[in-house]
Amino acid sequence: MPSDAEHQSERVSRRKYLLTSAAAVGGVGLAGCSSSDTGNTNSGGGNGDADSSDGSGSGSSGPSTVTAEGSSTVYPISNKGSSYWNSNSPASDGEYWGSNDESSVVGWDQIETDMNIADYFASLYGFEATGERSNPPFATRVALSHSGTGCKAVRDGLVDIGNSSGPITAELDISEDERDENYVDHVVGRDGQPVFVSQAIYDAGVEQLTGEQIRGIYQGDISNWSEVGGPDQEIYVVGRAEGSGTDTSFRLNMLGDADAPMDVDTRFGQNQQVQQVLQDNDNAIGYMALAFSGSGIQAIAIDFEGTVFRPDPDAENTIFDSEYPLNRDLHMYTRINEETPDGTDMREAAFLNMFLTEFGQKTFVEDVNYITLPTSDVEAEREKLPEQV
Amino acid sequence: MDLSTDTEVGGWEARAERYSGRVRTFITETAPGALAVVALSMGSLLLAFAGFLLASPLAAVPFGVFVLSTGYGWVRHQALVARAVTFAMTTVTLVTLGLIIVFIFVESVAAFRYESVTVFGVSVPGLGMFVQTRWDAVSDPVRYSLLPMVHGTAMVTAIATLVAAPLGVAAALFISEIAPPVVREVVKPGIEILAGIPSIVYGFIGFTIINPWAGEEFALNGGSTYLFVGIVVGLMALPTVVSVAEDALTSVPDSMKDGSLALGATEWQSMTSITLPAAFSGVSAAVLLGVGRAIGETMAATVMLAGVQKIPEPITNVFYGYETLTSLIAANYGNASGVQESALFAAGVVLFVTVLCLSVASQYIEARMRRRLGGERT
Repeated sequence: MPSDAEHQSERVSRRKYLLTSAAAVGGVGLAGCSSSDTGNTNSGGGNGDADSSDGSGSGSSGPSTVTAEGSSTVYPISNKGSSYWNSNSPASDGEYWGSNDESSVVGWDQIETDMNIADYFASLYGFEATGERSNPPFATRVALSHSGTGCKAVRDGLVDIGNSSGPITAELDISEDERDENYVDHVVGRDGQPVFVSQAIYDAGVEQLTGEQIRGIYQGDISNWSEVGGPDQEIYVVGRAEGSGTDTSFRLNMLGDADAPMDVDTRFGQNQQVQQVLQDNDNAIGYMALAFSGSGIQAIAIDFEGTVFRPDPDAENTIFDSEYPLNRDLHMYTRINEETPDGTDMREAAFLNMFLTEFGQKTFVEDVNYITLPTSDVEAEREKLPEQV
Repeated sequence: MDLSTDTEVGGWEARAERYSGRVRTFITETAPGALAVVALSMGSLLLAFAGFLLASPLAAVPFGVFVLSTGYGWVRHQALVARAVTFAMTTVTLVTLGLIIVFIFVESVAAFRYESVTVFGVSVPGLGMFVQTRWDAVSDPVRYSLLPMVHGTAMVTAIATLVAAPLGVAAALFISEIAPPVVREVVKPGIEILAGIPSIVYGFIGFTIINPWAGEEFALNGGSTYLFVGIVVGLMALPTVVSVAEDALTSVPDSMKDGSLALGATEWQSMTSITLPAAFSGVSAAVLLGVGRAIGETMAATVMLAGVQKIPEPITNVFYGYETLTSLIAANYGNASGVQESALFAAGVVLFVTVLCLSVASQYIEARMRRRLGGERT
């Protein structure tokens, strides 16, 4: 994999750098920053396995590599963030970081710095900038496995961050108290399936359905739009490939059971096909990733037991909320232990904080087709991180 | 081959005797060096195959030996090595076919077991796929009936044949018998280019243009219909039919046609009473090839059909388009696991058996027509 090779070479270059200026960088980098010091020793144990392959690169001279592992669903977000971090692009880049005459990255107006990308985020937590491309203050590395594996790895201290698309309580079969005692849950984005209807149906007044109505439509009890306040037209019900993850989670979250019966008119394997069919027909309903919304289709509000989730990011309850039944949080867990009673050391905080900016949400979450967190949730997530210095 | 005389003369012992005698003569008459090379090359190929079956990384070693020894033998004893290599290549084709058959049958065993039905106290595996019509891989009761897909395949194939057979045979007749040479020179390659258009292109056109149009014009919910899938697949099978039928018609000897014309028959009469019957075996082979293409067509059917496993009511209603055997496999293989995956292989088995029957039928028709109409005997 290219990213692996990339990481490899970055580690090598970092090691070289450390060899030449080990004392200086290490000393300055950690000076006056006791919590990053503890973070370092903490992960020394946790990273034992991972670091042995690094050789002496992360010895006492500099902060060790932040390692993450887990869910393939969270992987695109985590890995893209890691790639950006390790590139440590300068602010003059324009495409990946910063701005120049031609372009600037999203959310740049909130950042406005001369520093390189990893230098900037690391410096917020007291790390010394390197000022060099491809040479971040500390490297990051993301491994791909499964949610359960990622949770176990963070539990056993094999990695710093455990990526999981399901709650750790379910993955490790622990209680919520145990979770709160041992882990900090950092939500970086959401994976979800808003319900869409054809534009003509939306225009005819079907802007909102209840959970009960959607259940009826997908189980064959409701077959005409007039039954739910729309025009007198048959409903063209679009489902997803039988047994796929999307199909299973829809059955589970919307129909109440992972093997609930469904009665649909057509099934498609891909978001693009659902989008096309919803545009081509004027009587269709379907569910797909938010990134595929476009002209000719409309996301609708859903009323779940009295709470109306609207497709508007500024509404009180939105379809981007974690409470919206078709959404699931994408988690990055960190471990609470003796060295880090807060659960998140300065290295981890610096890395995670990158995802909790407008730049990070747009680049690492929205661009890989996931739902970004509403502003209030981003703020709540930032509260979980240690104080910036 | 003088097998027939063998059986007349004696039993298997005599035959074995004669065969080993022939082998001995062959060995004594061939240079020992050449024999050694061929034996080495074929032996190493066999070893490589064994290694391949065991998924051993060492299989590369005997394969390397095979390449080297064959290369050496090609230079030194070309005729003998060529015989051995061409034989080996033929065997490879057959072995590949054999392995595929074994694989799909083995993979489908779980589904056949799951769909066992007890008839008169005897459990018949796989019968459940054909005596009820429910396919649902997720919710209770989980059943894997192949009947909806068999029905879909039959509908699409029938419609495609109705499109491809008359059009194809008529076009072939025009090209081979009526058209002036200039037209033939242009049209024939044109038709062969048509055969080269990838099926996903047809499917894409169907999905983006025909389906929405059909949905609107016929007031259908969605617009997936067996009718239009059948027509599209028929058009895809058309070049095969035209090309093969044209070859068959052209190969009817001119002397037969000339005889008919000399007796005062018109051109049209000669065509219908001489050329077409004489080429009937070839023309029917062309149609059956087209049918085979229609049965196996996957891409266009997958993107145009709805992908749900149902039988329309009434079952002759062509304005529904649910699922064919091939589209079932194509649409579900990515998410299927366990028995569901095995059931997809079972669909593959049904397809395989169907195509096998079709092939046997076409051979039979050809043999029968040859007997009836004569021609040179082999």
